[in-house]
Amino acid sequence: MKTVAEILKEIRPEFDFAASKDFIADGMLDSFDVVTLVAMLDKNFGISIQGVDIVPENFKNYEMIEALLRKSGVKQ
Amino acid sequence: MQPVDTVNQVFTAIQQVKTNATAFCTNFFPVPQKLQSWIDHRELFCEDHSEAVFFFRKDRDFWRIFFCATNTGKLKQELMDLPDLKTKSMVMDLIEREAAPDSSLPIMESIGFRLYTRLHRLVRPGSPASQPLSSGSLQPVYAGNEDIQAVSDMLNVSFDHYAEQLPAIFEIAAAINNRQILMIKHARTLAGLLFFETQGVTSTIRYWVVPEKFRTLRYGSALMRAYFAAHAAIQRFNLWVIADNQPAILRYQHYGYASDKLVDHVLVNKMIRE
Repeated sequence: MKTVAEILKEIRPEFDFAASKDFIADGMLDSFDVVTLVAMLDKNFGISIQGVDIVPENFKNYEMIEALLRKSGVKQ
Repeated sequence: MQPVDTVNQVFTAIQQVKTNATAFCTNFFPVPQKLQSWIDHRELFCEDHSEAVFFFRKDRDFWRIFFCATNTGKLKQELMDLPDLKTKSMVMDLIEREAAPDSSLPIMESIGFRLYTRLHRLVRPGSPASQPLSSGSLQPVYAGNEDIQAVSDMLNVSFDHYAEQLPAIFEIAAAINNRQILMIKHARTLAGLLFFETQGVTSTIRYWVVPEKFRTLRYGSALMRAYFAAHAAIQRFNLWVIADNQPAILRYQHYGYASDKLVDHVLVNKMIRE
């Protein structure tokens, strides 16, 4: 199973996500990327992230993504 | 179709489809601020079915259709039952990887959509190897509110309204307010513009145009150089270009852009004649 960092690196290898506190505001993920990320997280963790949760706030940094994964049923 | 009144209504409708999804498919990448702007201008409508939800955005004399469906089979079925598809002019953007083996294009063509054109996404790294260019002696300026109509007119005559998502007047006004339109004037006439959107470390060129009669004056180059000079900290530049617009692609390649293999198939229904 891949980590969130590995998945983000696959989507946008050119960016240093560790240096950002807000991936969306910093322009590292756009709306296409978020949909790609949701599909990859769903597949990787065997979950289904809810449509109402596919909003920029939930993808702004590692903490928010991990919180979303927990909410979606991933045990960490 | 029903008008959409709130952003939450959009996400709730998507969720209902996603709950039943076996292979969720969509061409809708909603950004809440943009949705709110469409709702405020009464441009966004919705048709909610059990296995698919469709969103329609009014754009000039046609509609842009977006879908979310539980799988492509249900999408096809629900589209075939969609009455508005038979009576209204519709445009659909299908964004996929180039030559994707699971492309939805054949499904759309089987229910009457026709490929109108393709756009390719081009990207350019903002790496040290591609240092910002000097803006040179010609100095473009940012468009002001007095330029709104001239900018709109130039975009409308220079770009394809089905394929290139031309901005409404209110969107041009917002872009001017955000200093997102560089322009050059020649004897008080708008002689070229570069319209962009920047978000953090990524910047997207939406439109770059110099009318034919000004093309020997190097205004296009001046606009591009000014754009890069103003975006020295950007790490990723991108844009969408019509796939067979070879002159434009060559110019973008000259500035370091290259395809990232993402394609936008622009489809139209039978109400839009060839």
